[in-house]
Amino acid sequence: MSQVFHEIEKKIIASLRDNPKQSPESLEKSTQLSPDQIRRGIEWLKLKNLAIVTESKSSILSLGKNGVESFTKGLPERRLLDLLKTGPRKLSDLQKELGFVFGPSMGLARKNNWVEVSLDEISIKDPPSELLGEKTLKLIGNEKLSKDKIDDDDLSGLLKRPDFIIEDVIKTKEISLSDLAKSIKLSDSVGGIDVEANVPEVFVARTHPLKDTIDEIREIFVTLGFSEILGNMTQSSFWNFDALFTPQDHPARELQDTFYLDRINAKKIGTPEQIRKVSESHKKNWRYQWDINEARKMVLRTHTTCVTIKHLAENKPDEARIFSLGRVFRNEKVSYKHLVEFNQIEGIVVGKDASLRNLMGIQREFYKRIGITKIKFWPTFFPYTEPSLQTMVYNEKLGKWIELFGMGIFRPEVTKPLGITQPVLAWGGGIERIAMLKYDLGDVREFYNNNLGWLRSAIKCQ
Amino acid sequence: MPVIELSYSRLQKLIGKVTKKQISDSLPFLGLDIESEDKDLIRIEYSPNRPDYSTDYGIALGMQGLLGIKTGMVKLNVKKSHNYQISVNSSVTKIRPFVTGIIAKNGKVDDKTIKQLMTMQEDLHFGIGRKRKKSSIGIHDLDKISFPLVYTTTTRNHKFIPLNSEKETTISEILVNTDVGKDYGSILGQSSQVPIILDDNENTVSFPPIINAAVTTVTTKTKNLFVEVTGINKEDAEDMLAVVATILQSAGFILESIKITGAKNSSPKLEQRKITVSTSLINQILGLNLNSSKIISSLKKSRLDAISKGTNIICTIPAYRFDIFGPLDLVEEVALGYGIQNLEPILSPSQTIGKINPVSLKLKSLDQTMIGLGFLEALNSSLTSKRVLYDMTNRDSTKIISVLDSKSREHTILRDSILPGLLENLSKNIHESYPQKMFETGTVFATENPISEKINFSGISAHKDANFTEIKSIIQSALNIGFGIKVETKTATNSTFEDGYCASIVLNNIPIGIIGKIDSKIIENYKIRVPVVGFEISLSDSVLKN
Repeated sequence: MSQVFHEIEKKIIASLRDNPKQSPESLEKSTQLSPDQIRRGIEWLKLKNLAIVTESKSSILSLGKNGVESFTKGLPERRLLDLLKTGPRKLSDLQKELGFVFGPSMGLARKNNWVEVSLDEISIKDPPSELLGEKTLKLIGNEKLSKDKIDDDDLSGLLKRPDFIIEDVIKTKEISLSDLAKSIKLSDSVGGIDVEANVPEVFVARTHPLKDTIDEIREIFVTLGFSEILGNMTQSSFWNFDALFTPQDHPARELQDTFYLDRINAKKIGTPEQIRKVSESHKKNWRYQWDINEARKMVLRTHTTCVTIKHLAENKPDEARIFSLGRVFRNEKVSYKHLVEFNQIEGIVVGKDASLRNLMGIQREFYKRIGITKIKFWPTFFPYTEPSLQTMVYNEKLGKWIELFGMGIFRPEVTKPLGITQPVLAWGGGIERIAMLKYDLGDVREFYNNNLGWLRSAIKCQ
Repeated sequence: MPVIELSYSRLQKLIGKVTKKQISDSLPFLGLDIESEDKDLIRIEYSPNRPDYSTDYGIALGMQGLLGIKTGMVKLNVKKSHNYQISVNSSVTKIRPFVTGIIAKNGKVDDKTIKQLMTMQEDLHFGIGRKRKKSSIGIHDLDKISFPLVYTTTTRNHKFIPLNSEKETTISEILVNTDVGKDYGSILGQSSQVPIILDDNENTVSFPPIINAAVTTVTTKTKNLFVEVTGINKEDAEDMLAVVATILQSAGFILESIKITGAKNSSPKLEQRKITVSTSLINQILGLNLNSSKIISSLKKSRLDAISKGTNIICTIPAYRFDIFGPLDLVEEVALGYGIQNLEPILSPSQTIGKINPVSLKLKSLDQTMIGLGFLEALNSSLTSKRVLYDMTNRDSTKIISVLDSKSREHTILRDSILPGLLENLSKNIHESYPQKMFETGTVFATENPISEKINFSGISAHKDANFTEIKSIIQSALNIGFGIKVETKTATNSTFEDGYCASIVLNNIPIGIIGKIDSKIIENYKIRVPVVGFEISLSDSVLKN
């Protein structure tokens, strides 16, 4: 079998045949290749089992400040013994001459029985000719020396002392050829390319991952028999709140929850009959003075329900399955779990046979199609539906139940004033939450960061 | 949603024979979400439409019903008394016209009870009280008050010792110096007269809706309570009173009535109501086939009373359940009593044929074309900032559309163009490899009767060889292959684009967009190191036009 080699590989192999064990640096010199080319060539050859890379560590020793001092003046204990050579000396004299090294050197000398102390005189007793460490000091001197050239016992005495020895650990690589490489004929490798080598990454153009989830959900709704309606993101408070039985003094309508447009009011908000009947329903049930100017204030829709209710009020169908999908807004602090602008889907079923169990059934089917099978329903509260439920779905990764879509049947206080006579089932929720589960994202902001690193690498969900 | 902290052991005492697990399993089916648990303590979230769930007493009542320990309506037993009277002076009519109240005697008040009553009071103030504006409550130590009382007005120089204080203070000082004064003083407006409740010795009992007097403070030594509610309408004030009365009765107090007269005020009735609902409506809405007795037992589990009459159910609702407006609310009460977990979902085949909106279809088709041309889809917020939309790109901001009081500085302006967002995206990706090609379709806004919303389409290409020809080829091919539309370019100038490399995109002699090389100063602003070309067109005026 002939094998194809890159020019770099050939040069490295040739060089190693001349000189079997080399460092990368020496290969650079012998092949005239750049450090990067050598690095890559070695990697390739290693993957093909042609090169063997042995990494080794070695210690290089040199003397520290105190080591150098002892090298020139002698070890402190040597200096002590030298002073005693000429006969016993007074303790105070020795202290004066040796300075702060007197204490430690005296301790060492007494411990080893090199000196004898009587009254205030110190005399020499039985010192060895060469002290531990002196050999090493002499060997290293002012140079650098590999650790394996020094006697470990002799060195150990110095290593314990502060700033005597400086140890540098150096990693070295040695490259050699494997047996396989030794037998390969380089002349075999003419023509063709290395088809097994790694190639650069290319990036696919694609739709946005969140958009993929939106499209998937849209398709599921359509296959469940729902038709899509569109509506504006800017709405009058009338359709966003009043028509949905949210009283004008309700906390949800305050500036701190809802985005109001600065100095922009709607001129026409509904038919005179719609306005009259909605205001009557508010006055009767919530007992306050309904103000048409409040209803004219333009808001960024807080839900897509304003689109569906307007559609129902205009068309009054006896039977319908419709849905509305799009951006909604909340005046919130942006965080890993909250956005000011996100996508919501809402499905509506109108019909005399529409029931809460139906609604639960549609939901169960919807979740099944996005791959969620463990679900349960809990009662909850929404201002414009009664009864109201929320779906809890079990997330295996998080190991807990999390809240997803809400659902309910529109209150008669909502439908009657708008002339809608049949029961209306509504259900829906945020899409980003579902997309987060699908893409395993912990931070919802990632969907709108347009970070190419993520967009280019996120794996499409099936 | 409001959150309340409870203790399992206290709840067990209140409910009766029940295990900790039964409680935690049943809470969600009362509509109460468990937020967190720590040994005996449990924090739960409740819906603002059920203020009776703001105390463990109220939750215990609901739980007893759900578990079948005690079912049926909680009746209020109010002893008629002639010892307690409040007369109302007509001077309050224009400021805070209504007062109502009740006496609660022989109760035991411990620290935990006081804590529960305070949370209830705060939640009532915030919710149905609309931050005390509509109605507000004061709870007092009855034995510190000499009846009869008068609800009247006084000047802002009126002095008394307010709650949590030891010294006499004028009303004006209270409004300026205390937190409650600052928070709620605006309810009283600028009027020189403010509401006040005085006792028979002319001692101040309460300065509604701001603060009580210190002398009537409820402590663990208190045995008898006086509860007053003031407000701007009688029904709301009595609704609030009904919740407090029901909770106090459950906490072991014996209720006695107060006679209230003067200026259109009268004694509270706290009456139960009757609502009729047909069994067929219940079964239709729920998708069940329940008989009358099952419906009645379910309603009783929801702590209501009911009898059947023919095909109808006549339901009796206590005063504190003012969240019940009509028959459909009763359907929900049946569902809760029946148990949501017992409702089996059914899937009936659809009688309708689903359809994607034509606009969505066209946008999806455009997405596919752009991907084919090697462009990656970006998504940006439509609510963005002046910096991104105008400052960085040197665009005209005279027709800016802003929102009020945004909590985020990055989201204050509705976009009138998509391209600036894409430039911003490029600037955040300068460390990623080039070429970088992105597109986005989305809604843009303009001030027009009052706001017009159109769908725009923008694309951008950034790499060392990016040029006008490349981007013109892209827009022409995208529109031609995608929609059979042929556009031309006509020389133009635009502050975002470089002179001499900018054109307007024209369809049948009508400009629908702009194309060109992004001005080098803008590229510098964004610290982008390669040339950038881009375009933006109105789809509403071209592809999506009927």
